[in-house]
Amino acid sequence: MSNVAGKSYAMNVITPVRSHLAWVNKVIFWTALKLPSTLKGLITLSLIHYARWVIIGKHQFPHLAPEQPKEALSYSYMLFFSNFNGSWDQYVDSFTFAIPSGLDMFWKWNIRYPKSVALTPFHKYIQYNQIETLHYYNGYPLATSNDVKSAKTVKDALIAFDQTAHEGTDATFLKRYHTLLRGLQHDLGDMYPTPIVSMSAYQVERRTRWHASQLQANPLKRGQQ
Amino acid sequence: MTKKLDLLDIQGNVLRPYGRFGYPVARYVFLHVSDGEKGRAFVGAVTKSVTTSVTWGAGPDQVPQPDWTVNIAFTYQGLKDLELPTASLIGFSSEFVAGMKNRKDILGDDGPSSPQAWDPIWRENRVTREKDVHIFISLNAHTPGLLEDSYAWLKGMIEASDGGVVLLSGHLGDNNAVMDYQDVKVVMENGLPTAKEHFGYVDGIGDPAVEGLTADPQFVLGRGKQMADGSWAPLATGEFLLGHIDEAGEYPPAPNPILLARNGTYMVYRKLHENVATFDAYLNEHGKHFPGGKELLAAKFVGRWRDNGAPLVKAPDQASKDAFDAQLAAADQQGRDALLSNFTYDDDMSGAKCPFSAHMRRINPRASLEFTRDPNDVPGSLKVSTGAFDTPGALTNRRRVLRRGLPYGDVKDRSRDDGNHGIVIMMLNADINRQFEFVQQQWINYGNDFKAGNDKEILLGNHSADERFASKAVIQVDPNSDQPPYFLSKIPRLVETRGGDYFFVPSMTALRMIASGVVDPT
Repeated sequence: MSNVAGKSYAMNVITPVRSHLAWVNKVIFWTALKLPSTLKGLITLSLIHYARWVIIGKHQFPHLAPEQPKEALSYSYMLFFSNFNGSWDQYVDSFTFAIPSGLDMFWKWNIRYPKSVALTPFHKYIQYNQIETLHYYNGYPLATSNDVKSAKTVKDALIAFDQTAHEGTDATFLKRYHTLLRGLQHDLGDMYPTPIVSMSAYQVERRTRWHASQLQANPLKRGQQ
Repeated sequence: MTKKLDLLDIQGNVLRPYGRFGYPVARYVFLHVSDGEKGRAFVGAVTKSVTTSVTWGAGPDQVPQPDWTVNIAFTYQGLKDLELPTASLIGFSSEFVAGMKNRKDILGDDGPSSPQAWDPIWRENRVTREKDVHIFISLNAHTPGLLEDSYAWLKGMIEASDGGVVLLSGHLGDNNAVMDYQDVKVVMENGLPTAKEHFGYVDGIGDPAVEGLTADPQFVLGRGKQMADGSWAPLATGEFLLGHIDEAGEYPPAPNPILLARNGTYMVYRKLHENVATFDAYLNEHGKHFPGGKELLAAKFVGRWRDNGAPLVKAPDQASKDAFDAQLAAADQQGRDALLSNFTYDDDMSGAKCPFSAHMRRINPRASLEFTRDPNDVPGSLKVSTGAFDTPGALTNRRRVLRRGLPYGDVKDRSRDDGNHGIVIMMLNADINRQFEFVQQQWINYGNDFKAGNDKEILLGNHSADERFASKAVIQVDPNSDQPPYFLSKIPRLVETRGGDYFFVPSMTALRMIASGVVDPT
């Protein structure tokens, strides 16, 4: 069990909201999607892969088999699900530093929501209502969402460059090559393991093991030392 | 700025970088508490001489400037052995309890920076109880002679503690001599004191402007926090002092009782060795190829020109640097400060002037982390995402630290790395994890917030010597130019950690409480 896979963190937060107010949340979500400018802050926070808010009515929780006891819920619930790069602190703090009013808008009708500023009560609210991730798979453990976007940019640019690479003189080739590099100057970051974002023994050991296996898989070539 | 702080209660090193107040030499001494009761008596005796932040000057009711200053701070172990109640001790932050050595994975103190390679005093710290570092005492003086006077006074105090506190040896000095103390001093050039460190950069320019600590309102431009309307305001006191409201509108988490914490702060002490030969060789090698030459490349490493700290965003090439120098020479103190500090990166979002991996842009991105790509722009461009965040500096304001400290040693042979030369940096903040450690981990040793993957900060990054983890940086160019970006490949480890720990700097009130054994969390 871990909230962390590679450079990514999966966060699930489920908070009660009064059933007769849940529709207000739905209207806000709908409006936010219709007016992308309201999500500008969220989108500018490039550590976020995505964030999703869903209202689950009190009768909408799955009932998988007749023998599963029926629960009597007093509230509807708001599920917040997000994947991001970096640590829990960095993510939660970025939210409250950068877009506190946006957060308050989404969570405003949730029971005992303390507002996103001050920080300590907000941290506690998220911690108390967070559900640990049981299983988390990451296809690109070395990549952040920025890295994935950059990789796509680099690939597209290289393919385009290659189409006409054989044309023209050496001088025009060099000029075009420089243009290619210049266009990719924010897309060429190295990809190595993540900085430690969780001090859990499991994460620390797993990172050490990854490092060791990389070294074993890529022995130094002669002359590199 | 309306807030008035009790300067007589706040230790002087919180307010003042002493090097800039006529104290070019200093000595840092570390002690172990062997006996709680006698140790508290020692703290009480030293407290009578501790320098506060009070305004110096002549005239009635004024405090004369001392010939030398004394300040004191404690590790978690120290406070424990001075017998603070457990209910108070558990209120300190977990990273302070753990100490710098145990945070090596967060800080990236690996390879030549790993604790096994630290000076003996730091290597042996937190291994056996009798070698644990408990107390930090700093002495800053006008002259080397006065520094010796202050040290003789301190030795007398230690002697008089009757075994209550023991001086811990183990600082490496010239020729690896094991010293009883860490000496630091300003770097001299042609017989005159400078504000430079051993790589030749003018240092210590961008100290934050803090509510109640910063008297001059002009000083806030470029140093405080930028508001949504573009104006500047001082950062909340609680970012740097416990017991005051912080940028989140709350009192920073702190131990009980409130009097123990109020007007105190956390201090990160770090001894950083500078590999001057490696630096010179790397700069010379790339300086030969870099368009604009070696000095411009040196400026690209840091974001400021070496000789006077001119920021690259204002002086991106030699011609603009010449004009800047003329302005700087003609300016008064206030004008100089504005020239050197009043800027953001908003006119340099693509990094063409100051690269994203430059020291200054990484440790303080100012109000310029609010950025995005626009697919309609020329490839290689980034731009400000105006209004995305509640204020432009939202992601930076809570990551600031007050920087104190001075260089140590002399460079006697620039062709060697292994001399006794570097810098002791002390960073003050209310939350070590949120401020110092975050910057160290996410912005110095990692680059994702700058869309730079794992690329590290050029100067301080923990660059690997292993080819399979080679470090590089991209020196960006104007996306509308016809230049290619410059690649700094295989960046060597230029700076190595040689030790340090996390300390608590109590207020004068708290010092007296600790000394009298009356800390009562009730």
